[in-house]
Amino acid sequence: MIAVFAACVAASGSALADAPLAYQTIQPSKIVMGESAILRVTSLDSELQNVKLPEVSGLSFEVLGHTRQMEFINGTASESSSIVIRVTPQIAGIFSIPGLTPKSQPLILEVNTDRNSGNLPLTLNGTAPRPAPPPTPKTGNAAGIHFVADGSAFVQLKMPRRAVYVGESVPVDIEVGVRPGVVTALNGLPTIKGGDFTLNNLSRQPERQEQVLDGKPFLTMTWHSVLAAVKPGDFSLTVDTPLTVKISSRPSEDEAFANILGGPFLQNFYSNIVPKEMTVTSQPSELHVLALPTNGRPADFSGAVGAFKISSDVSAVQMTAGDPVTLRMHVSGAGNFDRVDSPMFDRIDHWKTYPPKSSFSSTDPIGYKGEKTFEQPLIAAQTGEQTIPGLSFSYFDPETRRYERAQTEPIKVTIEASRADGSLKAPSEATDPDSRLASRTREGLRPDHASTPSYATLMPLYLQPRFLALPATLALLFAGGLLGLQRVPSRVASRATERALAHLGAVARSGDSSAFLVEARQLLLRNLSQRWRLPPEQITAAELNARLGSDAEDIGRLFALADEEKYSGGGADGTDFSQWLQIVSRQLTQGASA
Amino acid sequence: MKYLTVAASVIAFLLLGANAGAQPPDTAYSAAGLYNLANSYARAGKPGMAVLNYERAALLAPTDADIQANLNFVRSSLHLPLRPQGRFSRITRIASPAAVAWIGVLGILVAGASLLVGKMLPQRRAVWIVGLCLGGAGIGFTVCNAIELEPRVHEAVVIAATTPLRATPVPMGDPLQQLSEAETVTITAAHEDFALVRTASGHNGWVARADLADVVPGGSVR
Repeated sequence: MIAVFAACVAASGSALADAPLAYQTIQPSKIVMGESAILRVTSLDSELQNVKLPEVSGLSFEVLGHTRQMEFINGTASESSSIVIRVTPQIAGIFSIPGLTPKSQPLILEVNTDRNSGNLPLTLNGTAPRPAPPPTPKTGNAAGIHFVADGSAFVQLKMPRRAVYVGESVPVDIEVGVRPGVVTALNGLPTIKGGDFTLNNLSRQPERQEQVLDGKPFLTMTWHSVLAAVKPGDFSLTVDTPLTVKISSRPSEDEAFANILGGPFLQNFYSNIVPKEMTVTSQPSELHVLALPTNGRPADFSGAVGAFKISSDVSAVQMTAGDPVTLRMHVSGAGNFDRVDSPMFDRIDHWKTYPPKSSFSSTDPIGYKGEKTFEQPLIAAQTGEQTIPGLSFSYFDPETRRYERAQTEPIKVTIEASRADGSLKAPSEATDPDSRLASRTREGLRPDHASTPSYATLMPLYLQPRFLALPATLALLFAGGLLGLQRVPSRVASRATERALAHLGAVARSGDSSAFLVEARQLLLRNLSQRWRLPPEQITAAELNARLGSDAEDIGRLFALADEEKYSGGGADGTDFSQWLQIVSRQLTQGASA
Repeated sequence: MKYLTVAASVIAFLLLGANAGAQPPDTAYSAAGLYNLANSYARAGKPGMAVLNYERAALLAPTDADIQANLNFVRSSLHLPLRPQGRFSRITRIASPAAVAWIGVLGILVAGASLLVGKMLPQRRAVWIVGLCLGGAGIGFTVCNAIELEPRVHEAVVIAATTPLRATPVPMGDPLQQLSEAETVTITAAHEDFALVRTASGHNGWVARADLADVVPGGSVR
């Protein structure tokens, strides 16, 4: 869409009766650096002579020419004349262009550094224009150009006429020519028609050129790209480009009438011109695609087609063991670099290899020419002079029509012993005696110590598993001892039982049956009381029968004899001490073990 | 009595075994020897190796003022930050780690014996409580010393003049910054020939193992 910022001086009122009617417009009013705007000064009632170009800091003005035309304003026909001036900015900013005639108003021109702030004609969405000097129209040859959209545009696909190979990158040029003012916008990038080809790396910005073809001004945009075929065969290629074109909706009769009357008149009289979106297509281009030969194809062929050279180098030829060294292979030339690949080295004797990585540096905008660099880190596993073998790279050359193999020379490097290996060896001499540290430390260091025979491990003892076994075992021993002591009450009870039985035996041996029975009764009562958790007075004959079973009778008899001895005396003559001792001992032992 | 005899014999055997097993002759160092070696490196203009051996000497003899003074001197000469020593560090490092380890063992013995005595002779309450406190103090001192020293076991010293700190453990990894020679870093992980380190300023990155030397050989990898 064309934005027009115009300051019109209307020819109305007496104030303007004696002054020429003039106005000026600028198209477009918003541009970016590298583009130009057209300033048109129009006079409605007199022929404009040369005007004095304004002086605006940051803008340059150049008169392109004069025009004369018929204008209809408010139904009144009048002849007008214009001066066309090109305005080119040197810097970005918002400029005020003063009126060039006494009655014209100042104009505003906005110049941006990028496209983000405006919707300008002939813009490509999301892309910034390439800064370029103002285009100079030149006359071109229209022969062979197939015009479309009523002659307001053309699309051409320029490519080599030779046969190409599958996967080969073929540089192509796509030219789109449009008539400014008629074609108002490009609605997308050109695209190739057909699924058997890929169009890679369409240059970000087209080259712009103004030229005159068949007497009409054209803005020609040229994209450089790379085409690649995915299968062999004969193909016909076309390129589509979406455009917005202003076309006339006049009937053909009116067109004929307009031709009779002349353009400027009808342009105003029948001004039914409407914008229309359309896709213009180029003339078909024929391409013969060959399959890559299978004979002689190297095993390491990765699909690279083109003309390549390789070289290799290393980041250092002298290093310390353990230090990484970078082996680089440079593949330069022209071709399909996306298929240029190399595994470098999977394994080299006495070296540790790492996976390589690659980077591509293009020398043209489409990535057809350049250099791909493979970098592989290596670490030497052995000291001394080592040789890194040469690298090789296979590709298909479409010029010679055969597979080629490029080879590099082996590289010799010297590996010194690691610094860490000598950490416990005293330096024989200063490597850099004049270094600042060395010179300063001679005075600043405290003196050496006398050697002592005391040796220890650097790893603290308490962090060594073998040593930790000692405190762990000690802790276990003490824990075991404490647990052992926890069982003492039963052991003590057992010993008390033994002592009681021993005392009872002594009484028995003395022959005092009364004392024996009383002692035995008390002993049993205490024991049963502890076992059954009952007070001694609650241990009755019924309780004995219920809990002791067959022993209840003996214990009951013992209790009865003891009571008899206690209350009547002499009831226990002829006491069988050994029998009673056995009974008491059995009961007490059961109680201790329980 | 026979139990006590057996227990004493086992303990004596363990003590002798632990002492002998913990000190293989090929990994034993002398603080004086490491200090003199570090002085040699410092005089030869090799600050990385000098700081490494000072650090090792300081590990064995933490109270040696000469070691600390020369270590600080070399670090100051290289404009490297000095390691701050807090009160906790000063208190816990008044003895060598080896001595502290034996103090811990003694503490276990005393505390364990006190507990046994307390069980067997509860009436001697004061004796076993004092013993328990002494033993606990010995164990606590050892634990504090271990807490203080354990991070240092994972430290390493940069011994190469230009050592890049990389984002990934590969030789072509993007360098994040350059480490200075003699800078002490903490190793937190390892991958093939690279170690993940944390610098004193808190930055993390990968460094080639060849450019580092462990303060405690073999102790850096967790």
